[in-house]
Parts: sequence; C-alpha cells; structure tokens
Amino acid sequence: MIRLKDISKSFDGNEVIHDLSLEVPQGKTVVLIGPSGCGKSTLLRLMVGLLWPDRGNISLFRENLTKNNVEILRQQVGFVLQDGGLFPHMTALQNIRLMADFLNHDHDATNNRITELHELTHIPKELLKRYPSELSGGQVQRIALMRALMLDPQILFLDEPLGALDPLNRVSLQDEMKTIFNQLGKTVVLVTHDMGEAASLADLIVIMKDGYLLQYDTLSTLSTDPADPFVTEFINAQRKPWQQLEDQIK
Amino acid sequence: MKNLNLYLILILSFPFTPPAQADPTSEIRIGSKKFTESVILGEAITQHLQVNGFKASHMDQLGGTRLLWKALVQDELDIYPDYTGTILYEILQDEEISSNADIQVALAQHGVSITDPLGFNNTYALGVTPQTAEQFSLKAISDLRQHPELRFGFTNEFMDREDGWPSLRDHYQLPQTAVRGLDHDLAYKGLQAGSIDLIDLYSTDAEIAYYQLSILQDDESYFPDYRAVILYRTDLLDRVPSIQTYLNQLAGVISETEMIDMNSQVKLEGRSEAEVAQSFLSLKFNTLSEIVVSSRWDRIISTTSEHLFLVCLSLGAAILVAIPLGIWGARNATLGQVILSIVGIIQTIPSLALLVFMIPLLGIGGPPALVALFLYSLLPIVRNTLSGLTGISIDVQESARALGLPAPARLKMIELPLAARSILAGIKTSAVINVGTATLGALIGAGGYGQPILTGIRLDDTSLILEGAIPAAILALLVQWSFDLAERTFLSPGLQMKQESTS
Repeated sequence: MIRLKDISKSFDGNEVIHDLSLEVPQGKTVVLIGPSGCGKSTLLRLMVGLLWPDRGNISLFRENLTKNNVEILRQQVGFVLQDGGLFPHMTALQNIRLMADFLNHDHDATNNRITELHELTHIPKELLKRYPSELSGGQVQRIALMRALMLDPQILFLDEPLGALDPLNRVSLQDEMKTIFNQLGKTVVLVTHDMGEAASLADLIVIMKDGYLLQYDTLSTLSTDPADPFVTEFINAQRKPWQQLEDQIK
Repeated sequence: MKNLNLYLILILSFPFTPPAQADPTSEIRIGSKKFTESVILGEAITQHLQVNGFKASHMDQLGGTRLLWKALVQDELDIYPDYTGTILYEILQDEEISSNADIQVALAQHGVSITDPLGFNNTYALGVTPQTAEQFSLKAISDLRQHPELRFGFTNEFMDREDGWPSLRDHYQLPQTAVRGLDHDLAYKGLQAGSIDLIDLYSTDAEIAYYQLSILQDDESYFPDYRAVILYRTDLLDRVPSIQTYLNQLAGVISETEMIDMNSQVKLEGRSEAEVAQSFLSLKFNTLSEIVVSSRWDRIISTTSEHLFLVCLSLGAAILVAIPLGIWGARNATLGQVILSIVGIIQTIPSLALLVFMIPLLGIGGPPALVALFLYSLLPIVRNTLSGLTGISIDVQESARALGLPAPARLKMIELPLAARSILAGIKTSAVINVGTATLGALIGAGGYGQPILTGIRLDDTSLILEGAIPAAILALLVQWSFDLAERTFLSPGLQMKQESTS
C-alpha cells in the first residue's frame, strides 16, 4: 500500500532520515514511534508529499509520488494533525464537507456520508454548527477524524492525534479510534511517542532513533526479540503508575 | 464644480489626445499661484478673456513658481501671471540675461511669450513691527548688521530662491543665524505673536497697512524689480491669434495702489477674488463679466465629490495592486522583503515632492494626485496582506495541503479568508491616511477638501479652513466606522471569537 525505498532527507545540511526503507501492508495499522527528533513526523510528511526526499522514492497505491500526482493522491488519503488542523474560519461541518464540496460530490451522498461518520465518531449533530474555537480538544480531534474520513480514503495518516489531549479524553478517543480502524479496515500510519498508545492501536510498530529505523515488527516480537538494546530500553522506559507502586514496594 | 469639471476633462483627455494637437475651440487654461494677488490676476485675465468671447477657465492657487512654470511648459496651462524678478532669478537663473530682449529670447526657447508689465512692481521687502523698528532703530536693511540676535521668518520660497535669503545675506553681510522657513500667511501671525522679528513680504501685500508694518529700506539696492507680467504659451497664438491683443490690453493698467487695494479687499474685507477682479475690470474696461457665486453647501458638495473621487479611485487601484503584491511577497521571503522595502521607500517621499515629480509625466489636476495617493496607499495593504498570510499557523497550512487542495483553491478558500482581518485592517489604515493626504491634492489642482483649507489659510479665514477640515475629519471617521462594520459583517464568526478569547 505504501512503499518507501532508500529515503534520505536533510534540513539545512543535517540529514534527519538516513537511507530508510519501509513497506506498510494494506489494512494494517502501523505506528511510528521513537524519542523526540527521531524523524518520525518527518517520515509521515514525506509519505503525503508535504516534504520531498533528497534521495529515494515513495509510492502510494503502487504509484510513484511526484509533484504532478501529489494533489490527486492526497485526495485519496486522510490526514490528522496533533491540533486537528481545522480551519478556524469554518464551522465543524464546513471543515468536514470542504473537500466533498470542492470536488463537486453529490449533495445527498455527502449528507449520507456525514451521518455515517456521526455514528462512527459519536459526535452530536449540533456540535457541527460550532467553530473550532468553540470545541474542546477531544471534539476537535473527532471532527478532524471525520474530515479525514469524509472521502472514504484507503489510507489514514495521523500525526500524534492524541498528543494534545488530557489523559481521560486520550484513553476514550484511543479506544474509539481502535474500534473505528478495526471496523473500517483502513491502512493507518500513526505517529506517537507513547508506547501505551502504540501497544493498544498497532498491528506493527516501527521504532526509530536518530533518523534510523531500528526495528519494524509486532509488539510481541519487539519485546521477545529486540534488534537493538535501545528497543528494549524504549519499551520499558514507559512505566505505568502501578508499576511504580510495585517498584516502591520492592 | 469648476475644478471637478476641469480635472474630469483632464482625466478624460489625458490618455487619448496628444498635448501638441490643440483644438482651436478648446478652453484656454489660466493658472495662478497660491497667493491672493496671483489669484486675483488669474481671475482678472480669465474674466477679461471670457467677456471678450473666449472660452477660458481658471485653475486657481495651484502652487509655487516651479509648479506653474512646469505646467505651462508641459502644455497643462496656457497662461499664468508671474513677475519679472521671478522669471529672471528663478525660472531663467541658469541663462545669461542682460536686457528685456534677452528675456524674450530665453522664454521663446521654452515656447513661452511674455506681455508688457501690467503696471505695479511687487518686489520683495523686509518688514518688522513698528515696536521692533523703534527698539532696534531699524530703518534700512543695512541696520540689521548691528543686531545678530534678531529672528527671521521667511517664506520657504524666499529661503532657497536664487534672489532670496542666501544672496541677500551675502549682499548685505548679515550676521543673523536664527532663520527659518514658514508659510507667508503664517509669517504675519508669527510676527504679531512675537515668535519672529522680521519677515519677507511683497510690497503690495494688504497686511502691510493692516498691521502697520515698517518696511526696511533697500539702501544697498539689492532687490530687483518684480513687475507683474503675463506668461503664455506661444503656440496659443496659433490656436487663437487674437488673444495677444486682449492680453496686452491688461498691460500698464494696474498701479501699485490699485493692486494693494484689491489685495486688501480680498484679504481684509472678505470679498472673493472673482468679485474684486470683476469690479476692477468693469472700472477699467466698462465690461461686466459673469461670475459664479457658490453657496457654502454647493462648495461642500463639490469638494466632497472631488475628495471622494480621489480617495475611492486611488484606494481601489491600490487594493487591486497591493493585495497581489502581498500574496506574491508571502510566497518568498526575500521577494517579500524587496517589495516591502520598495513600497516603504515610496512612503517616505514627501507628498509635495512626489506631486512635483509627476507633473512632467501626468501634468496637473486629478491624475498626479490620484497616482500619488495610490502610491501612498500601497504600504499598509501590502504589509498587512503579507503578514496576514505568513502568520497563518503551520498546522492549518499543512492540513490545507494534505487535503489535496490545489494552490489557487488554498489561497481563495483558506489563506485569504484567514488573512482577511489583517488585510482589512491594512485597507482601513490606507483609507484613513488617504482621506487626510487627499487634502494635498488641492495644491496641484485636483480640488477636494484641501481647496477650502488652502484658501482659508491664505485668507486667514477660519470658517473656510473648517469648511474643509470638518468634512475631512467626518469622512475619516465614516471610513473607520464602515470598515469596523465590514469587519463584523464579512469576517467569519470563527475568527472573531478567536480574537475575543485571546484578548
């Protein structure tokens, strides 16, 4: 579905992605994870053509991503940012409908799609009249998700979609997203730095460090058969509260 | 309406007719400088021609010598009154002149002819209050050498004329250093208020008698003759050959006493220049010319329409040019800096200088004023468009691209609406500045609220100044309010709420 081959990317002479290859299979949720500055968000942006690699090539749906087809390909994928990236001058509904209306999709079909998405995301209809500044963080992310799903894309890209939410909202939206992804069978690429989130959502996990891909595997393989000491270190670094309590008792 | 018609004609005729091809039936254009005597003379010439069957119009109080001379040479004017001294020492200062015949030859090289003197000599003189004259025993200019502490206030023109202050100082070896330039009409007030001790004046000024000023004798005969004459384009004779006769009829008819009397009728008795010129002509030639006396409301309506015309057209053009410039600049940081620097430099050119620069290109009247106002309106709009666009958050820009919106659609649907508040604020700033700056249009014959303000300052008539200043202030407020209303009406509520929550 998504294929990256020998990708390198520099900013102002500093290489931040080194000769990286990656393949995301159809219908799987792949989580890119690693410490801050490891290049995971850059990698995500390269996949949608928001950035262009210095070397290597990227293909979506078996089609090479170029400046000529990038806009068409983007219309076939969904993208959600940490802060939602909603347009503040439009209501929630206008944000959701924007691309469908821009592409002159049938009005009734669009309305039906919005109703479907409602049921999927549990957003009350009256919220759609509001502007982003009148919505809570969790609501903004749900609307952003609705907007990303509007054209029923095959691939969904999410850049730390839960990063700006409080823990309670985080957990509930995380559960919802898990249900939605399973229900829709989309190919999903999600960036996070939270191992718990990765564990809960991912079919496959990519662990990155300093622009290198350290290991790309399921969670269980990552813990039983780590390719690098850092993998174990990173997985174990994220302690749960009850774990700390256990540690204190010991 | 006189000025409105005039510049409408100018605007309409400007792009289409080459200036050299004059229509014999076309209007004869008379100009005058922005002081009372020149306006009276311009009015007298105009009425004298009208009463003898010519189509003539008067563009009054246009500006100083340089502006009038340029306008004459550029075929924006056919006729204007000037003085021999001014012609000799200012207009022809670089040429070798030793006789009157030389003057005619030198003027002919510019395509300009001159009549015989009209009669009176309005030379420069230095004046002080009787108290100052007594206190420092001043009788002649040479007496000033003993009193270096005296403060001089000279007209800006006198400050830098060839025959003005610098060479007067050298001629008389004057020691004074406290010398500043100011408007002639304000100079009298400064003298009365005691903030200056000595001013330059014209020997036919009405105020000399009114303020009982003492004139210092030119004891080392420095000042040349300033005999009033009429300058006209030589090719005017091809269009209307008979005009020479009528212009020469005015030669030798105005004595010094008569000119002082006419000046005081306008400045001190509050009669209009047109009326004063009419009475004088009827006395000398037994004719009765028609003059239009307009009521205050008529004037306000016509200055308002002139002012609105200047503001709306120049601002409209500025919006059409500045927003694309701002968009272009927002795409590329270096280019943005270049664009901002250029419009910033334009902003620093003094408005009067900009108007004078444009006479060779655009003549006088509406077009140069419109172009100047247009140029001054660019900076706030360009700057606010640029900062509005570059200030959009990266998240929003990225998600607009990630949705697959092509660049033109992003600009129209996302970027411009988000920058709208900033762009609107820039246009509002431009509009308010424009309303104020447009008053300077009067200096170049474009009319507007500057016209009554200029005349009011010249005649020391506060009600006339207010006739221009109050509507200008009201217009500026209306502009401000209508933009505030537009902001509330057209700006997305989503953006307005954001503003409230962050402020």
